[in-house]
Amino acid sequence: MKKAPILKGYTLFYLLFLYGPILLLPIFAFNDSKVVAFPLKGLTLNWFAEMAADQNLRTAAKNSLIIAFSVSSISTILGIFAARASVRYNFPGKAPIMGMIMLPLVLPEMIVAMALLVVLLSLGIQLSLFTVIVGQVLICTPFAVAILTSAFQSLDRSLEEASLDLGETAVSTFRLIVLPLVMPGIMASFLICFTISFDEFIIANFLGSGKPILSVYIFGQFRFPAKVPSMLALGTVLVLFSIILLGFAEYMRRRGIAKAGGKDSGGLL
Amino acid sequence: MTTTDDRPTMIEFKDVHKYYGDYHALRGINGTIKAGEFFSLLGPSGCGKTTLLRTIAGFEDISSGVIMIDGKDMASVAANTRPTNMVFQSYAIFPHMSVEENVGFGLRKDPRSKDEKAAAVAEALGMVGLKGFGKRAAHALSGGQRQRVALARALILKPKVLLLDEPLSALDKKMREHMQVELIKLQRQVGITFILVTHDQEEALVMSDRIAVMFDGEIAQLADPETLYRRPATKKVADFIGTMNFIPATILSEAGDKVEIEAKGLGRVALDIAQAPTPAGEDPVVGLRPETLTLLYDDQKAPERETEGVIDEVIYFGDMTYYDVYLGGTDVEVRLSMRNVPGRPVLDVGTKVRVAWSPSALVLFR
Repeated sequence: MKKAPILKGYTLFYLLFLYGPILLLPIFAFNDSKVVAFPLKGLTLNWFAEMAADQNLRTAAKNSLIIAFSVSSISTILGIFAARASVRYNFPGKAPIMGMIMLPLVLPEMIVAMALLVVLLSLGIQLSLFTVIVGQVLICTPFAVAILTSAFQSLDRSLEEASLDLGETAVSTFRLIVLPLVMPGIMASFLICFTISFDEFIIANFLGSGKPILSVYIFGQFRFPAKVPSMLALGTVLVLFSIILLGFAEYMRRRGIAKAGGKDSGGLL
Repeated sequence: MTTTDDRPTMIEFKDVHKYYGDYHALRGINGTIKAGEFFSLLGPSGCGKTTLLRTIAGFEDISSGVIMIDGKDMASVAANTRPTNMVFQSYAIFPHMSVEENVGFGLRKDPRSKDEKAAAVAEALGMVGLKGFGKRAAHALSGGQRQRVALARALILKPKVLLLDEPLSALDKKMREHMQVELIKLQRQVGITFILVTHDQEEALVMSDRIAVMFDGEIAQLADPETLYRRPATKKVADFIGTMNFIPATILSEAGDKVEIEAKGLGRVALDIAQAPTPAGEDPVVGLRPETLTLLYDDQKAPERETEGVIDEVIYFGDMTYYDVYLGGTDVEVRLSMRNVPGRPVLDVGTKVRVAWSPSALVLFR
């Protein structure tokens, strides 16, 4: 096979461009200097301590966790209904309905956020954590549907029929057969929606009405050069947190497919 | 062949129709299946055999008509309370459970004690030759073993009817032939009515007491294997079951219980009316199975009739040789099979031969 040095170089450059900046986060988070620049000055944990002591940051983190937990729960439950319906049942208008559920995946988030803001304000609804949750559910549900559809699809229909045939009801069949077999998909959906919600910025900023939410808070802190290193420390923690969550989600998804005896048709990772 | 006529009726179909939207999947199914019978639904894919099986199980409702199981109308009986159990084509083994959890799944609501249930599971596993497999994970089983688990799981509830949806189609040839014999033995042992869906005519002939041959949502013929093979009711059935030579014929006269015909290459033949099933309005042809034709060697004499011919093709199978032979200087070609016994050489293409046949082996389709 012929070597292609240009392609090799391109690939390397591409990967460096993608991940280089992220690698800088931990480097400067441990750097003993207020200025984010080379050369490095020495090792310190001060920025992590400062981050942990920031009361506003804690409130923002708490709010973000509340939002992320609510969004991932609601999106996953909605996703279960939609995925089950699209895999198992035929009904008039199924294709356009499923298409519209998946549309926010490609719709510019800015437009969704603006449209929601206009509607909420004209309805006189106070902006709050709740309105952020509503907006983010809209964004996360398509991801949940995509993951859960693949989980339900890899479930052989005759398994449910076999359970009915052996005397179980539709409800006990769902509990004994369907739920255990799609549980890894449910977990994966929950975790991915959690991650998406946690670092979502546009809707949090538009619909959050200045409430401290982590992504918005971090952006705000960058105006103050002195705060930047502690934000980099926070970023380092979040990167680790995201990698662990997404890795776990993908592991659950693959395990689910293997368990149901299906074929892997490609996932998010 | 066991006679099944004196046994009580287990399943009865009365003018069963099934529509999927505009598609007419079952077109007036009538017939009865006897208790303790090994019954097969045989037909090409899309003929409605699986649909019919699923209506018995209760997975499909019927558009009109009546299905009775053991004297009870099943119209308002849901799948989970019918006295039937099914072995699925995919086996539908629950992948997140062990073998014994799979087999014991139907006993969840059984009031018996834990020990008694465990004994029942062990007995069911023993019956299908899987003694000691209880603790294994379901997904670690081979195809043949999965099928046995599916059988044990369905039989543990002692259903009145066991439904088998192409249970052998996923197995290789050797395993399939082995399981055919095992299924027959098992059916005799438990005495439960077995209903098998298959597209494999050989499998149906080997295993069944009676067979319903289905085409396009209708039962074309319901008979025991021998009748089906020797006296197919239609040309389509004859063509589907085994190999059949079709020879154009003209009907010369029909009087009383005799039909006289002139078959191309064979000449004039007088047939019994039993050899001529109900007319279907087609051009008359006579059907002849390959094994009812025999090549005559040297100065052998035909016991009944003989016709001259020329060998056009020789297909050697080891134990058998198939010959394609042009009959009596015509363009009618028939296939005949000869056992390769000592002193009977395999003949070459182009050899002039004499073919012995018997008028009683003919079936007239018209």
